[in-house]
Amino acid sequence: MSASIRLEHVTKSYGGYLAIDDVSLEIGAGQFVTLLGPSGSGKTTLLMTIAGFVRPTRGRVLAGERDITDEPPERREFGMVFQGYALFPNMTVAENLAFPLKLRGVPSAAIQQEVRRMLDVVHLPGLGGRYPRELSGGQQQRVALARALIFNPKVLLLDESLSALDKKLRAELQEELRDLHGRLGTTFVFVTHDQEEALSMSDEIVIVNRGRIVQRGAPKALYDRPDTRFVADFLGRANFIEGAATSLSDREVSYSAGGLSLRHGLPAAGAAPQPGQPVLLGLRPEKLRLASEAPGGQANAVPAEITLVTYEGADYHIRATTPLGSMQAIVASTGGGTSPARGDKVWLSWDQDAAVVLRDDR
Amino acid sequence: MELAPSKPFRLTVFGAWLAILFLTLPFAVVFPVSVTPHRYLSLPDGQWSSRHYQTLVDDPSWILSIRDSLVVAGGSTLVAILLGTMTALACWRISSRTSEAVRMVMLAPMIVPSIVHALGFYQVWAQLGLLDSYPGLILAHAMKGTPYVVISVSAALANVDLRLEQAARNLGATATQALWKVIIPSARPGMLAGSVFAFALSWDELVVTLFITSRNVYTLPRKIWDGIQDNINPAIAAVASILIVLTVIAMVVRILLARRQARLAMAPTGP
Amino acid sequence: MTADMDAGTRRVYLVLLLAPLVLLAGLYLFPLSRVLWLSVTVPTPGFGNFERLLTSSAIHNVIWTTVRICVLTTTLALLIGYAIAYAALHLRGWRGELLLFFVLLSFWLSVLIRAFAWLTLLQSRGVINTWLMGAGIIDAPLPLIRNEFGVVLGMVHYMIPYAALPLYANMKGIDPRLVPAARGLGAGPVQAFLKVYLPMSLPGLISAGILTFIFSLGFYVTPALLGGGKTIMIAEYIAAQINDTLNWGLGSMLATALLLVIFALLAVMSLFVDLRKVFGVK
Repeated sequence: MSASIRLEHVTKSYGGYLAIDDVSLEIGAGQFVTLLGPSGSGKTTLLMTIAGFVRPTRGRVLAGERDITDEPPERREFGMVFQGYALFPNMTVAENLAFPLKLRGVPSAAIQQEVRRMLDVVHLPGLGGRYPRELSGGQQQRVALARALIFNPKVLLLDESLSALDKKLRAELQEELRDLHGRLGTTFVFVTHDQEEALSMSDEIVIVNRGRIVQRGAPKALYDRPDTRFVADFLGRANFIEGAATSLSDREVSYSAGGLSLRHGLPAAGAAPQPGQPVLLGLRPEKLRLASEAPGGQANAVPAEITLVTYEGADYHIRATTPLGSMQAIVASTGGGTSPARGDKVWLSWDQDAAVVLRDDR
Repeated sequence: MELAPSKPFRLTVFGAWLAILFLTLPFAVVFPVSVTPHRYLSLPDGQWSSRHYQTLVDDPSWILSIRDSLVVAGGSTLVAILLGTMTALACWRISSRTSEAVRMVMLAPMIVPSIVHALGFYQVWAQLGLLDSYPGLILAHAMKGTPYVVISVSAALANVDLRLEQAARNLGATATQALWKVIIPSARPGMLAGSVFAFALSWDELVVTLFITSRNVYTLPRKIWDGIQDNINPAIAAVASILIVLTVIAMVVRILLARRQARLAMAPTGP
Repeated sequence: MTADMDAGTRRVYLVLLLAPLVLLAGLYLFPLSRVLWLSVTVPTPGFGNFERLLTSSAIHNVIWTTVRICVLTTTLALLIGYAIAYAALHLRGWRGELLLFFVLLSFWLSVLIRAFAWLTLLQSRGVINTWLMGAGIIDAPLPLIRNEFGVVLGMVHYMIPYAALPLYANMKGIDPRLVPAARGLGAGPVQAFLKVYLPMSLPGLISAGILTFIFSLGFYVTPALLGGGKTIMIAEYIAAQINDTLNWGLGSMLATALLLVIFALLAVMSLFVDLRKVFGVK
């Protein structure tokens, strides 16, 4: 029932501006894939290319093995939930849902039955007679979802679909979407600029910036092992350490930054920075430890003075000045001992393999 | 923050009501004149008669001119709706510098004085054999009505999300189906408002009519005009009274409809 | 967000764009161009007709009358329209709506009926004169029509809605807290109006004024009926050239000149306001 989608060297230019720059991407059948990027990154243009509303300047779009580059949107059989929902204001909810079925010549008795069933699926039984303007935002969202799914599309495309909802409703609908995806097995392609949403919902995240795919992978892999400064910065929070490699052994690289000598444990794969070359490392704030005295052992440590403490319930968010510049750390608030305070002189330490070597794509 | 109405404001309001009196007084005079028992324009002195209304019924030329006006206004409204809606739809969807320019050109008949295009219509209609014919007058009036339809349909479409078309296409509609089933229904209120304008414009049009028709097509404004020119007769006051009443009724109905629509729009919303 | 048009869609919308344009070009712009063409070809090719603009005292007279009446009409209509619009917007509840209702009623009523109503009131055996003489206030009827007074009266009456409605729309866009804010800062009501409200409504005033002026320039019915052949404005003069003397050259020249003046006024207007907004297409 579901289809895979393949983009091959897709480029879209408007005048001289490259909205999509030579993107190749395969989305497996039945996957939940999120295209994540800042606004203007080209993620929506990518989605519109898949839907058939944007015609690539170069490259091909395939559904399964079929080339659909030149196929008009109405023949692609992809459901889509639009930003702002795009419900037809002149039709009732039931008429909105019936629209795609009527176009496909489904007999009216079957349409009625299917509309009722679909309204149940999205938890809106009995609202078929209402007009879209009489519904709340969350209800409109559900109607849009039902309309996009009612004709059993091979792929469901969702464009910033939850962005307009408040936080609680959004969480509820996120859960429902994942549940629906699990039950239907349809390929879901979801576009968002919200990194938390991307992390919590997807099988796979594709990070898009400036019309290119920067990195793709499972949410946890992306979060733990970002390739570039952009990914580390966009997905979650990160401290960046800029230094120069000084020596290299087979298991670690030593480097100097901010007048300190630090060490970084090398992962099994990947190129190692050569001595003399600049290195950029990313370090998640939650990987930092706070200590009142210099810790011994293998860990890296820098002296720091706390400039800001924000209490967030489960943990403290701390900002501190160090020889490496301003750094942020997240430490659990439940550990006991004295709570950190502004002006405290402390040590920040991290394990040798806690940081990640990044490519600087700034 | 609320301030007590100041003296200058009260003066302005007083002036505004005086102006309204000035606006409506002439119309108020038409009613008594229409029931005068005399054959000339005068206020009824104690007695009144319905003879001038009777004239409208008895004299077939009045009925015929009303029929001609209805035919011409109806026909030109249809043409104007067609042309104006097409233009507004295309400009809404294409939305480029070119389409903006096209839209401004389509508005020309609104700005050009009637006397100027009346000369042009006369010249070209004479060559085409359209003088003093229904198609000739209908087309000329349609040209004048089209800009009003363009404006009102454009206003209705301004609130229509381009994504509605994409949604329809995505759900399986071709471009033409999307246009018919989704976009044109959204444009309908604008088409209705535009048609009221186009109809009223043609119903009331005189200058072009004077130039390009003579006896064959004889509209109500023309009949009134000729009536005023040769001898002013209270039958005109009777026609005027009827038209004023009809206009008031039409406006009240429109207001009531608008109220009802506003109430519907605020209908119960879900949780 | 961008969306391309596929070939099918493009075809559909190009037809929608071009078909009306072609019809307008054939049935409107072409007739209009004939008028321009006649003005420089009849009776002989050249700008002979336009020289008359400079030399003919009859034409000077008509132009002067037209400009005088139009300036007077526009000024009065703006003044009255401004007061109505201001009152309609700032009166609470039904009073404002009632004001607007009467303006709209007057807007929708036929130009002929308006002129006829004025004739009934103003002619020498009309309602006002009959009444005044009956009451013994005057002996001979007052000359209320067949002169500039009658024409201006009728035209102001016609133009008030055309001034008031755009002004009302424009004033609706002015933040209603500005005047109270100015009063709160110590300005008197007149000062607050002159220093705050009037400048804010100036663009609307300018565009309503130019529109009223443009509409007045080409006015035919009201001046013809209330001027009674004595006070002749340019539209009636043009019609007379064609109907009475078959002088197409002079008639089309004056029509062309009128058109050029109107477009020049629109060009001036576009310096102050976005024309697309004035004509409601944006």
